[in-house]
Amino acid sequence: MKDIRWGLIKQQMLVQLHVRTLNLLSLGLFVIQPAVFTAVGMLLSHAAGNAMPDLVYTVIGGGIMGMWSGLVFSSTYDITGDRLYGTLELIVGSPTSLTTIEAIRTLTNVLAGVSSLGLAFLAALAIFGYSLKGINFWGAIVSLLLLLFAMWCIGIFLANFLAWSRLSGGFVDYIEMPIAFLCGFMYPIRVLPGWLQILSGAIPIRWALQAMNESLLGNHDWSFLVIHWAITIGISLVFIAITRCLQDKVHDSIRVSGELSSI
Amino acid sequence: MIKSLLRPFRLYLTQAWLSYNGRLAITSPFGYLASKLGFPFFLMLFFIFMGKFVGFTNPLYIVIGNVLLIPASSSMFGVTNAIGDERGWGTLSYILGSPAPRMPVFMGRAFFYILDGFVTAIIGFVIAVGIFHLDLSRINFAMLVLCIFLVAITSSGLGFLFGSISLVSRDGWIYLNTFLSALYILVGVNFPVESLPPVLQKVAFGLPLTRGILAARMALQGAGWSIIRQLVAGEVLVGAIYILAGFLCFRLIEKRSMASGTLDAM
Repeated sequence: MKDIRWGLIKQQMLVQLHVRTLNLLSLGLFVIQPAVFTAVGMLLSHAAGNAMPDLVYTVIGGGIMGMWSGLVFSSTYDITGDRLYGTLELIVGSPTSLTTIEAIRTLTNVLAGVSSLGLAFLAALAIFGYSLKGINFWGAIVSLLLLLFAMWCIGIFLANFLAWSRLSGGFVDYIEMPIAFLCGFMYPIRVLPGWLQILSGAIPIRWALQAMNESLLGNHDWSFLVIHWAITIGISLVFIAITRCLQDKVHDSIRVSGELSSI
Repeated sequence: MIKSLLRPFRLYLTQAWLSYNGRLAITSPFGYLASKLGFPFFLMLFFIFMGKFVGFTNPLYIVIGNVLLIPASSSMFGVTNAIGDERGWGTLSYILGSPAPRMPVFMGRAFFYILDGFVTAIIGFVIAVGIFHLDLSRINFAMLVLCIFLVAITSSGLGFLFGSISLVSRDGWIYLNTFLSALYILVGVNFPVESLPPVLQKVAFGLPLTRGILAARMALQGAGWSIIRQLVAGEVLVGAIYILAGFLCFRLIEKRSMASGTLDAM
């Protein structure tokens, strides 16, 4: 515990909140975009002849969409912003590693994204009369925490691509929808064809999200949930390991060649 | 005499090429294709599976709507970002300080984005035939081409409006992004406009694209000019109003910022 630098964490989180998180873009990503996706889901449901939309997938799922979009854009623009303002070199050259800075920033982004999920949840409760009766409360809470952890791991993984190469910015931007589509943010994963379900298995968010949705739908099968949680943790750790391994190599290379600005 | 008459056209085409090339020349072929087709493709898949889950049994409706939205978003983003980037790169003051007429300079920004959006939509339809087995046996190709072009042109009016916002705000693209997401609901991309509440239906028909997309869907079913002409005329009218409004708004903001000297300070 002594090694954890609380001052650094607090300072970075405050800066991140003020500079990057609390702005107009975040309002669009955390509030408006999820509302639009939810509206599309509801109107599609209406066009299909359903009296009521599915609240877990269509309404609360919109919040997950907001969390994810917020994470992808804020985490990737962190590095892009540092490049633009000329502060990336200072961070890489400072004794605190870029990994640590990125980890704290991404954590802030993930936690800010919870507001999107919270709003969607409130909308489901207050506007659509979603009932908490019968849900697996603790299952949902643990799944949510693991979902945040999985998003954090993916966020760090993606954010570092921008430090490795400025050209990867475009690639990272295009990750938003494929991940949302593969992980079934607004529909159950069983809707996807079998081969896509297998493909989505490589993304930890998918497992945590599936566990959370099932808990919200009243699934009390603990073995199902525990398996999903274990898979989430396992794959997330693999992402962390890959990130660290690549990062060490790239950072050594950057320091030796002095090419941070040109890559 | 001829030289002075040709000058606006030369300016128009030069600006069109410079603006388009300046924004996209540094992009790799992968980045270019991914930006054109990647996001719309996965967004479309997302909506298709969302529809499948809720029991919406016509995925091709979503496919066609999203392909038709490609030229519109290309025009809107292209024009808005072309103006917004001038601010970002610090070149807007030079353009506005030059004696060049505004009409060809800024209207030229739309030209290649309209062409680009049109070509991308055609590629999108080819992909839709290959992957989603879109039936083109009854298609009225000429009318479909007309509708796609029309949608790309009329939506550039929205691009000019949001581009004008870029003159006074650095967040013009954020407003456009938010507005573009509203189009997923409003203009009949993912479900028929009739599924909207009555108030939103009125809003939908006050926007460009709604009639154009409807006409394009009819052309895909083989409808001829006599059937879609009313929709096309309505789309032209609405689009012209937005283009004019965009240009007037641009001039107004330009004049006010010139008078106050606050263009780059905002």
